[in-house]
Amino acid sequence: MSQVSDLLRRPWVRWLILLVVAVVLAVLPLMLPVFVNQTLTRIGVYAVAVLGLNIIMGYTGQIMLGQIFFLGVGAYVTAYGVVNDWNIVVIFIAACVIPALLGLIIAFAAARLGGLAIAMVTIALPIIGVPLAKRLSDLTGGSQGTSARFSSAPDWTGLYDDQWQYYVVIVIAAVAFALAYNLVRGKYGRAMRIVKENEAVARSMGISPYRYKVMAFTIAALFGGASGFLYMVAVQYTSPETMAFHHSISLLAAMVVGGAASIAGSLIGGIYYVLVPQVTNAIDPTITAISQGVILVAVLFLLPGGLVSLPRVIRRIFRRRSGGTDQTPSPQPTPPATQAEGSETERQA
Amino acid sequence: MNMRKNLKGAVGLVAMASAVALILSGCARGGDSGNEGDNGETTASPGITDTTLTFGITTPLTGATAGPGNCTADGAIAYFGVKNAEGGITFGDGKTRTIEIKTYDDQYDPQKALANFQQMVAEGVFAGGIGLGTPTNRAWREAAIDEGFPQVLAQTGDPLFSNREESPWQLGFVATYPQEGRAFGEALVASGEPHKVAILSQNDDYGEGYVEGFKEAIADNPDIEIVGELTYEATDTSVDAQLTELAGTGADVFFNAMSITPLVIAALQKSQQLGWLPSWFLPSNTSSPVAILEPGGGSAFPGIYTVAFSEAAASPAFQESEEGKVFMEALAEYTNQDGIPGFPHCVWSWIAAATLEQAFQNMTEPTRESFMEALLNISDFDAPFMLPGAAIDTTQDGIPAVSEVVVQKYNGKGYESIEAVG
Repeated sequence: MSQVSDLLRRPWVRWLILLVVAVVLAVLPLMLPVFVNQTLTRIGVYAVAVLGLNIIMGYTGQIMLGQIFFLGVGAYVTAYGVVNDWNIVVIFIAACVIPALLGLIIAFAAARLGGLAIAMVTIALPIIGVPLAKRLSDLTGGSQGTSARFSSAPDWTGLYDDQWQYYVVIVIAAVAFALAYNLVRGKYGRAMRIVKENEAVARSMGISPYRYKVMAFTIAALFGGASGFLYMVAVQYTSPETMAFHHSISLLAAMVVGGAASIAGSLIGGIYYVLVPQVTNAIDPTITAISQGVILVAVLFLLPGGLVSLPRVIRRIFRRRSGGTDQTPSPQPTPPATQAEGSETERQA
Repeated sequence: MNMRKNLKGAVGLVAMASAVALILSGCARGGDSGNEGDNGETTASPGITDTTLTFGITTPLTGATAGPGNCTADGAIAYFGVKNAEGGITFGDGKTRTIEIKTYDDQYDPQKALANFQQMVAEGVFAGGIGLGTPTNRAWREAAIDEGFPQVLAQTGDPLFSNREESPWQLGFVATYPQEGRAFGEALVASGEPHKVAILSQNDDYGEGYVEGFKEAIADNPDIEIVGELTYEATDTSVDAQLTELAGTGADVFFNAMSITPLVIAALQKSQQLGWLPSWFLPSNTSSPVAILEPGGGSAFPGIYTVAFSEAAASPAFQESEEGKVFMEALAEYTNQDGIPGFPHCVWSWIAAATLEQAFQNMTEPTRESFMEALLNISDFDAPFMLPGAAIDTTQDGIPAVSEVVVQKYNGKGYESIEAVG
């Protein structure tokens, strides 16, 4: 066991694993059935959305219930760009930047509030977003939605549509994950975590909680917008229903199930979001909602750190079984989001 | 020591990588052989054999729209349950097949509806449809066209699904919004009397559709004058201001294209407070006698009209009829519906299934093309549970399967069909 973890710590091993993963991801879609590619594509879409949510909630500890709004805005910007024949790169940049700007503006006000108040502001986003999308029918196509067929495979690639969509989504998702990985491990990530743990401590260290909250909020919105673009690559249609409030809660549940404050957890969250309905379709399509609820409750009780903490928990059990000879302090259990919220509300009171 | 450890690890890594490669190649082979199997089967489309046909329904089975959503699946499940128990349906090519209905839950989420469509294709479903919802059906419309996959008898009033040019692989089922508006307009014209009409409509494609159809029907009639026309937003919680203004016009007919139940009830009450008692028109989905007209005090008005095409499952005539009994028994046996279904979608889905059966009986080849051809060629079909005057006709461009609807008037308990307003 420890040999493996020793080995994993070596940089060359890590690079090799990364290379193997990259090769596998690149070769996979050429072999897999269409439906598996389509499923992997959708997982990429939601993994990025959950990743953005994780940056603001998991890492910075601010309650965000409006992530689906930014996904929806990104999707609508993409659809609008496609309908008006913008360059695809411009569309992608706009789909990221416009939600990010919206996020920035909202964060300027919301981050001052903190605690539950920021949650209330973010709840309002999808609640406003849906009727707004219906009313601005010149831009959005109204309640019937708008479709944008732009992600068919170009002829020069010789690929099928599902393979092309897979590659577009996987490349953008991989870049997003790499950026997020570096963000949370660097100076900003550490500062965000201190803001989450204790704002007073952060302030005493010269870290402005306000600035970091605004930053995290904006980044979350940016990732939301990017996932909106990916949504359009995969789905090619959006309607006000896309940004309905309950999808935001589903994203939140996916983040908790995957693992708050974890990059890998975001990926697991995306897998959970996409796969559970597909699996229940195969078993009994009338149990989708209840099975999602059961999984959420089970994870909260058994693995409060999310599914990503499963190997850690198994290792701990294994160590206990073997007599506890290994005295290395067990890695600090991932602080669940609830803990941070608790301290937050205490301060509020 | 360290070197050896590294070496061991590297060997493990290589072993793991080759294992992954093996698994992958295994997957690939599985996928390929699947394709070969599909190609090997002469010219038949996927999802149809000499003994079975698989039909997929993606509809909201859980979530906020689960009530009508389950009904849209259950009617068809019950119908084909009965037919399968009788041995199956004899197709136009002479073979008898049983119909397997596969249901998929989309929770009224467009993205999930598309995923369900992709799952249908992967699972070798022959054709899909009957599902409820405009955005959910729209989400996989174009993908279905690309795939050459029939998406038929969609339960949405969106006219796009019945536009033969834009939607070659689609067909809507229920009457479109303009159709309903037009039917009422025609009944108004048929009254032969002068009328002053006030219009209130929801400010979206729903309200616009109703008003468009209504105006078309009264266009050439100088006796019918529109004296006031206002809109409201779907998010509004009150339309008192609009009602007060419209009451001032002194209109004797009120065309109210409203889709929100509490607003309709409030509007009925407000109108009585204002002492404005015109004849009302209400859309089919907001004209329930029990849920809307009773609490709203509908009896106070000289007439409340709506449009319909199917019999109500709760009516005594339905319950006592031979067909009605078969329907109720089938629902009890093959679905989880308990007693008389609370939504009309169960009956609609049953009618849609009967329409599908017509297409099956007329398709001469086991292909999707032949199925679409047969489906778009149904007329003079005496479908079950249709009101006299309503009809199923799939041959008209721009018109869904339910081609004719009838105008009905509230009689204090339920609705009765009428020819003309008055």
